[in-house]
Amino acid sequence: MTTALRDLIANPNAAELELIARYGMLPEDARRERAFEAFAKGGLPHRRVEGWRWTDFKAALPVIETPADPGPSEDPLPTDGALVFSFTPTGFTWPEDLPEGIRVLAKPEAQAFGASEEMPLGALAAALAGGKTKPGTLMIEVTGQDLPRLHFRFSGAGEANFARVQIILRPGAKLAISESYLGGAGFTASLMEFSLQAGAEFSRTVYQRSGKTDVLAATAAVQLDEGADYRQTTLAFGSKLARLETRLTHQETGAKATLNAAYLCAAGHHADITTEVRHGAPSCGTRQLTKGAVLDGGRGVYQGKFFVPRNVGQKTDADMQHNALLLEEGAEVFAKPELEIYADDVECAHGNTSGALDANQMFYMRQRGIAEEEARALLTEAFIAEALEEAGELEDVLREQARAWLAR
Amino acid sequence: MLKIENLTATVGEAEEAKQIINGLTLEVPAGEVHAIMGPNGAGKSTLSYVLTGRSGYEVTGGSATLNGEDILEMEPEERAAKGMFLSFQYPVEIPGVPVMTFVRTAMNSQRKLRGEEEISAPDFIKKSREIAKQLKLDAEMLKRPVNVGFSGGEKKRLEIYQMMMLEPSFLILDETDSGLDIDALKTVAEGVNAMRSPDRGMLVITHYQRLLDYIKPDKVHVLSAGRIIKTGGPDLALRLEAEGYEGVLGEAV
Amino acid sequence: MDCCGGTDEHEDDCTEVTVKEGIDAKTVEAAKALESENYSAGFSTEIETEYSPKGLSEDTIRFISAKKEEPEWLLEWRLAAYRRWLTMEEPTWAKVRYEPIDYQEYYYYAAPKSGAKYESIDDVPKEILETYEKLGIPLREAEVLLGVKGAAETAATAREAPRVAVDAVFDSVSVATTFRKELEKAGVIFMSISEAVREHPELVKKYLGSVVPQSDNYFATLNSAVFSDGTFVYVPKGVRCPMELSTYFRMNAENTGQFERTLIVCDEGAYVSYLEGCTAPMRDENQLHAAVVELVALDDAEIKYSTVQNWWPGDENGKGGIYNFVTKRGDCRGPRSKISWTQVETGSAVTWKYPSCILRGDDSVGEFYSIAVTNGRQQADTGTKMIHLGKRTKSRIISKGISAGKSDNTYRGLVSINKRAEKARNFTQCDSLLIGGRCGAHTVPYVENRRADAQLEHEATTTKLSEDQLFYARQRGLGEEQAVALLVNGFVREVLQELPMEFAVEAQKLLEVSLEGSVG
Repeated sequence: MTTALRDLIANPNAAELELIARYGMLPEDARRERAFEAFAKGGLPHRRVEGWRWTDFKAALPVIETPADPGPSEDPLPTDGALVFSFTPTGFTWPEDLPEGIRVLAKPEAQAFGASEEMPLGALAAALAGGKTKPGTLMIEVTGQDLPRLHFRFSGAGEANFARVQIILRPGAKLAISESYLGGAGFTASLMEFSLQAGAEFSRTVYQRSGKTDVLAATAAVQLDEGADYRQTTLAFGSKLARLETRLTHQETGAKATLNAAYLCAAGHHADITTEVRHGAPSCGTRQLTKGAVLDGGRGVYQGKFFVPRNVGQKTDADMQHNALLLEEGAEVFAKPELEIYADDVECAHGNTSGALDANQMFYMRQRGIAEEEARALLTEAFIAEALEEAGELEDVLREQARAWLAR
Repeated sequence: MLKIENLTATVGEAEEAKQIINGLTLEVPAGEVHAIMGPNGAGKSTLSYVLTGRSGYEVTGGSATLNGEDILEMEPEERAAKGMFLSFQYPVEIPGVPVMTFVRTAMNSQRKLRGEEEISAPDFIKKSREIAKQLKLDAEMLKRPVNVGFSGGEKKRLEIYQMMMLEPSFLILDETDSGLDIDALKTVAEGVNAMRSPDRGMLVITHYQRLLDYIKPDKVHVLSAGRIIKTGGPDLALRLEAEGYEGVLGEAV
Repeated sequence: MDCCGGTDEHEDDCTEVTVKEGIDAKTVEAAKALESENYSAGFSTEIETEYSPKGLSEDTIRFISAKKEEPEWLLEWRLAAYRRWLTMEEPTWAKVRYEPIDYQEYYYYAAPKSGAKYESIDDVPKEILETYEKLGIPLREAEVLLGVKGAAETAATAREAPRVAVDAVFDSVSVATTFRKELEKAGVIFMSISEAVREHPELVKKYLGSVVPQSDNYFATLNSAVFSDGTFVYVPKGVRCPMELSTYFRMNAENTGQFERTLIVCDEGAYVSYLEGCTAPMRDENQLHAAVVELVALDDAEIKYSTVQNWWPGDENGKGGIYNFVTKRGDCRGPRSKISWTQVETGSAVTWKYPSCILRGDDSVGEFYSIAVTNGRQQADTGTKMIHLGKRTKSRIISKGISAGKSDNTYRGLVSINKRAEKARNFTQCDSLLIGGRCGAHTVPYVENRRADAQLEHEATTTKLSEDQLFYARQRGLGEEQAVALLVNGFVREVLQELPMEFAVEAQKLLEVSLEGSVG
């Protein structure tokens, strides 16, 4: 590689050098270059960078290689009647027959990624997705309403898997999508961009379960126009490092967002749920509920932020709750629920709890004759399930996955 | 039935532990209803928690047996399976767990511990319907999470519903009348009275005499500073009402 | 520049005020103005002052050390800190913005000319005594004693005239410490830290830097190098300090940094309540205040530390004012010890301050109660850290932030539960109140839990003053300003009641003054 490329990242580790090399092999493209430079500025984010102190990619990813633990290959999300888009380290496939109301555009060049500075790993996905002949960005335009669910699967063995999808919902369009992150590649980075135009309705379900040695960053950037309705439910089991990040902007009046998530981390699993919601227009609402349960040796991270700019953010109504259970000693839960508010006519609140199951609830159940272990399982499942209630037709599948994990 | 002898118990951990029950002796034979009355802080709620095995309450002396079996060493769920049921003064909210799921799980857990067959789903639903009707409980209510968003009166009726579903052999009613209006009180009392039978005992803990107009006790005990200091018939409750605890306690000392 | 809808909300050059529905236009308009007349402590005192050479160098440090007749070990300690400081970078993570500080433009030592040491209170220059009098500080023992003598021991009288021992620091030196003799009787050491270095070197050497190490952070390291004066308190085993101890800090000289260092040690079973008050005159330049406070509580000891900070906040355009970069930390070193921080922060142009507790002893307790009011162009980034190391350690955080004018008010806090901190408990409540639509209120809590049996709860809300409540109060005849004061008082009540009596009244007045002009 050329010296110039090599110098893009200060003190690169082997993984960063590999990323530079991969970038160097792609066709020249000004927008790709901008995205890569945005990533290269800081390289793989590490614990000394605000927002990454508990999720250190540089430390978790010394080299890029095929992981020792391939993880589960089963995708529990049903695909009957759904349109499946599959991304693997070697390329991707999508259904040829698309119903009216959905149009897919795949061009080899990259699209501009405006917010690349704030999302370094999203920028990396934008820079490295595609190749000489493969599309850099998969663009999907949606005009219809009664459409099948689109299912995106990120899986397959290999070293690295990069993907970028843009979905635009035209005014009044309705769509449900689901994403399964099953790992298999040592490093998976995806960038999903959703733009909801006036009155559009969108539901997104994210399922993440990959092997213990996988490192994963799924980044989503969301923009909501007037009266748009966005609903997201995430169920994450973590991996060596799994960061599921969503940045959402209310950019016109009266948009609504629901961002729910549940994480369940066993030993050696790290799940990071990070969200930032910007109330860039008046009278927008955000509801956020994140629940976690962590076992000995697991780590759950929750970072949430509401940002309400001056003047434009008036009449914001936003609520953020994060509740975590440390099911065993040795579990770790780190949380940063943040408010940054520059408008006075707002109702913003957040709550954060972490600890063990409620002793009163446990006693009440046992007094009625339910054995301790069973009471614990019932309470934990009910606790987690609350965050899955908005997942629509997929709620039961997610709940079943959570139940099976808890029954371990 | 229930026999408590010279029981002493503390509340709180390690250095902060306080002795609340001070040598309490009491016997409730099968088929009888006994009331325990006493001023605030006498140890009424503590007694109900000690008997049902709540953590944080430690027995330091004495004994308590149900049908001759020592219950103090048992886990709370074992005591429940043996037939102990506590109607909570403040029923606990359990988000995410529907009432029906909860009660069915409880019933089957108890049956399992007793080595009995599980109840079939149709039988369970039939039974539930009958009892709900009796207690004027809306079927919708039973689908909601346990006690979440219920009014004070609804919570108490739900306690009685559970009691009638689980058919325990010994009932402890802890301040069941608190927070109830007169109509709710009557419904609850009817439920409890329906449970009276020759092989079932009851301990009704209350601060006021009012409840005892509806649930007639065979005996009334006055609890003070962790001990029973006076025992009498139903008229004792009336005297307490008329003269106040001070009058009656003063005489006992 | 389109600064009202643009991406950079911190930059604020909009001069136009947008009046929204439902809010009194006057309210917003008046919020723009912070009248400097409101700052009653803004006078300066004409007095001859002796300075160190301007700027910072090893020579400056040697000069300070020599002035204070310090032992060699302390000079070396200072120099080590200075050399370390040279390698450090000023922190930038706080939500505050200010012009770069030119550390060579400050005087690191300023003392009233007549000498740093006074044999008795009568030797203290009249002007200084008058200054403290104007501030309402009972420096002269005589004055305080007037109401107390004779009947001093009866509780009733003591209540009427609370006895407070005062150490007054004027720029870089301690000018007087009152009630000294009486405290000595109880075995309590209460003196300036310079004196303590001479009179109790073993204690100072043992505890100085043991809670806030020399190299802790940029400002603390700077303080370690150049600290001028401050207060030393030692309460011996089993002694309940018979009166409140208090220090008043006054920054008077121009272009002066104040770097006091406070060290309070409570031996086993001891108790002390300590009050700290701060004022500074109005100056156009920014003055730097980088203090370090270290608290050590041994077994069963309790320290209650209360601050009312009213440094000059700068004028309505953000000119002048104090940069308040303070490191305060308490170490609950022994089992069952307790440290409680209560602060009322109304002053300073920029505040960067996180009074913290290291809960090392089993069953130790840390508390942080804070009211932070910002108005005008003030910026405050304040909060606490509760580091749970011992078993069954408990902490409680109640923070009330009130933002008005064009100010920014940030709560930043850390609750960290160590693996060994069995059954730790924390409760945090952070409430922010916005008055007017040109200010900011932020909450940045970090919660790290490594124990399954820990119980952590955090709640936060951000709201404006309730229109309904305002209207209700006004319908019953309260003026708008009065109604606001009433509601704000209700908002902060939980914290106010943690303050010692004599401070609570002062704090309440200060709140009113700070918010004057924030509503129409």
